[in-house]
Amino acid sequence: MNAFANAEKKPKLVLVDVCKNFGGVTAAQDIQLEIYSGEVVGLIGPNGAGKTTLINLITGVYPVSRGKILFDGREITHQPTYKRALEGIGRTFQHPHLLDRCDVLTNGITGSDMAARKRGIQKVDLAKELPRLLACAGLEGINLSDPVSKLAYGQQKLLEVVRVLLSQPQILLLDEPAAGLNNREAEYVSALIQYATEKGIGVLLIEHSMELVMSVCDRITVLNFGTQIATGTPEQIQSNPEVIRAYLGGGDSDAEN
Amino acid sequence: MIVQLLVSGIAVGIVYGLIAMGMVLIFRAVGIMNFAQGDFLMFGGYFAYTFNQMLGLNIVLSLILASLCMGVIGVIFMRTSYWALRGAQAKAIIVSAMGASIVLKEGARLIWGSIPLSLDKVKEGSVTVAGATIQWQYVAIIGIALLLMLLVYLLLEKTFVGNILQATAQDQYMSSLVGIPVIVSIGLTFFLSAALTGICGGLLAPIFFLSNTMGATAGSKAFAAIVIGGFGSVPGAIIGGLIVGLVEQFGGAYISSTYQLVLIYVVLIAFLMFRPRGLFKEKIQEKA
Amino acid sequence: MLQKSKKNPVSAMAMTAFALLLALAPVATSVYTVHVISVAMISYLCVLSVYVLLGLCGQNSFAQAGLWGVGAYLAGNILLKTGGGTLTAFVVAIAGTALLAFVLGFAFFRLKQYYFTFASIGLMTILNGVFMNWEPFSGGAVGMKNIPTFTFFGWQATTEQSKFYIVLVVCIVATVLIGLLFRSSLGRAFMAIRDNEMTADSMGINSLLTKSIAFAISGALCGAAGALHASLSGYLSYQSFTYNQSTIYLIMIMIGGTISPAGALIGTCVITILQEGFRSLQDYMQLIYGVGVILLMIFQPEGILGGGKALYERICERRKKAKAGSR
Repeated sequence: MNAFANAEKKPKLVLVDVCKNFGGVTAAQDIQLEIYSGEVVGLIGPNGAGKTTLINLITGVYPVSRGKILFDGREITHQPTYKRALEGIGRTFQHPHLLDRCDVLTNGITGSDMAARKRGIQKVDLAKELPRLLACAGLEGINLSDPVSKLAYGQQKLLEVVRVLLSQPQILLLDEPAAGLNNREAEYVSALIQYATEKGIGVLLIEHSMELVMSVCDRITVLNFGTQIATGTPEQIQSNPEVIRAYLGGGDSDAEN
Repeated sequence: MIVQLLVSGIAVGIVYGLIAMGMVLIFRAVGIMNFAQGDFLMFGGYFAYTFNQMLGLNIVLSLILASLCMGVIGVIFMRTSYWALRGAQAKAIIVSAMGASIVLKEGARLIWGSIPLSLDKVKEGSVTVAGATIQWQYVAIIGIALLLMLLVYLLLEKTFVGNILQATAQDQYMSSLVGIPVIVSIGLTFFLSAALTGICGGLLAPIFFLSNTMGATAGSKAFAAIVIGGFGSVPGAIIGGLIVGLVEQFGGAYISSTYQLVLIYVVLIAFLMFRPRGLFKEKIQEKA
Repeated sequence: MLQKSKKNPVSAMAMTAFALLLALAPVATSVYTVHVISVAMISYLCVLSVYVLLGLCGQNSFAQAGLWGVGAYLAGNILLKTGGGTLTAFVVAIAGTALLAFVLGFAFFRLKQYYFTFASIGLMTILNGVFMNWEPFSGGAVGMKNIPTFTFFGWQATTEQSKFYIVLVVCIVATVLIGLLFRSSLGRAFMAIRDNEMTADSMGINSLLTKSIAFAISGALCGAAGALHASLSGYLSYQSFTYNQSTIYLIMIMIGGTISPAGALIGTCVITILQEGFRSLQDYMQLIYGVGVILLMIFQPEGILGGGKALYERICERRKKAKAGSR
């Protein structure tokens, strides 16, 4: 269904031949990636494959060594992080990065503050949207005036996703949102992802839980040692011999180094 | 004139370098800038004065005793102003160091009064080299400072105790896992740092006079030395100290003696703006 | 749901009550006490500036007394040399100091972490050196004398009481403005930077600009305090605007607590009362004060306000438990 829609739409975010070297280590090698509005792209790969680095390249935390990043057809390769965020690239972190001395409400409002300012879109209606999102994340029971440090780890991670969604991003980069969460909390993650796609947000999902990835992703791309070894639908990926080799170990000798 | 300024600049600068080194040792060990380091210098100077002028001991012996006393003060400082609140935010530790600085300053005023004092030089008189009169005290300072640096280097790099100190500085948790008593190790670092700075007080006193407020000025110059040299680097601190000393002496003579301190800070800010990592780049991971 | 979680009004109410109480001070006390309170209120403005920078934005500056001096000398120059009125002096002092802080902020905040603190120490020393030596601007070591008192449209504030009310009004206005800032999106941007700069970036906050604005706001507060100081005391000396004074402001806010403007108020009151109340012990006062600071940091690093809040929460919790138990 999505493939159909993609044929006529333009991709929201495009990565063209993106490379990143840290000294001699190649963390990203000629990455090609397109994310359309309303689809979920999974990014999987073994530990150290360069998944988080890719998010940091898209958000501008690291400058790219070579290649281009296009957002809405415009080049944003050399923009600073905050400008990209204002354009509509929202992200979460592997370990929750909340405003840990502020209460839950302030965390939510801060998310909605900035984005609306630049893009001229209607500021999100907090009174309506915040309870809805919190319910979606299974956080409806928490006290909004509690400091976030009182929340459990899983709740903090979910709240971070809520905060990013309140900023009305157009592209959402999720860095292992379900890692460290129990099964019930992981279901909230997929509910939040569904919420995002319904709003027409393009999602890039890094995740180790194959169950989650296979169930929510429209397309999946697999990274190993900074190179894309496969891209396709969940079914294609599951039967791709190179992916199986990367995951089961062994394989080509240069990967060993 | 130039030779004279060069010698005095190097002598004063190397002392700033030593103070800066003391601060860097503490910074590397606990990740906190010690805002009371300048007062260690002042207190050390007063200890040296007590042994030298009040008890009539030989100046070299006085310096050694003063430095040992300062070491003890350093350990007390560490136990009260650092160890007791090591879990708190950095700003709390900085403010408690300021509290300690007030205590030291006022303690010195109550014990020794607020009249500027002086003590014996290590060697009186002067020598004439290439038409320039050079005070022996400057030569003595340079010699003693170099000797101290060598001793610290040997202690840190060549001995077992040094290895323990460095291990703790790298990773406290890891060190405690391999059986290093972290509090002892950090205490030793503070002892060493305060003892070094204490000697400096005794060395500078015959040149600048002792007063209970001398710590702030000297501390801020040492601090400039650290930033110029490269944050957290021991050789950087020493080179930075020399630069500060030379800028101070030459700037005071040729540009303006009233703007001496301003000049040092203009250099400091220039470094911060154009070379924020200082002369010696050193990567230190951030500590809480 | 959203209304309920608005900020706790207790601290705002307490501060209003305190302001009312203060307003009665000139009636009840001596001229000397009134003067002391006026001076303390000026300190409060400077401490409030530290609150904005450290409490809200998480940046530690040692240059606040220097900025205070800039405001004071700017106002002094306007009043003495150009013949401008109090209002002109006030506006120039605030705008000039804020502008200076903003421009310097842009330069200093390019460097991360500790470096701003270092640069601010440098700035403090340089400013003090300039005040001491640049005679055309500051009168050099002699200082600036005979600065006229507050004058508005021909009316002159000659008594301590009238000066007191002027200072009080400025303080109240400043406190209200900072309270509004706390609730604004700019205030939240400050807090985002304080808590996690990387998150702030990823939420679209321009941290360099935002931090410079924070420094500028703190500069404006110091500028206002400086202008008040110039007209209140009529005399300016470089010895007031020192690094030590900056550390006192920092100590004041840490004693009070950095979580709200009330912390600035509490800190200023505590230190002023200690300084004034124990004049007989003056010789030992500073020593006791230093020990007190260390003890407070050990036992209550969040300051009096933080300690009070923790206590209040614990009592609430216990009451809740007791209720649950009795049921």
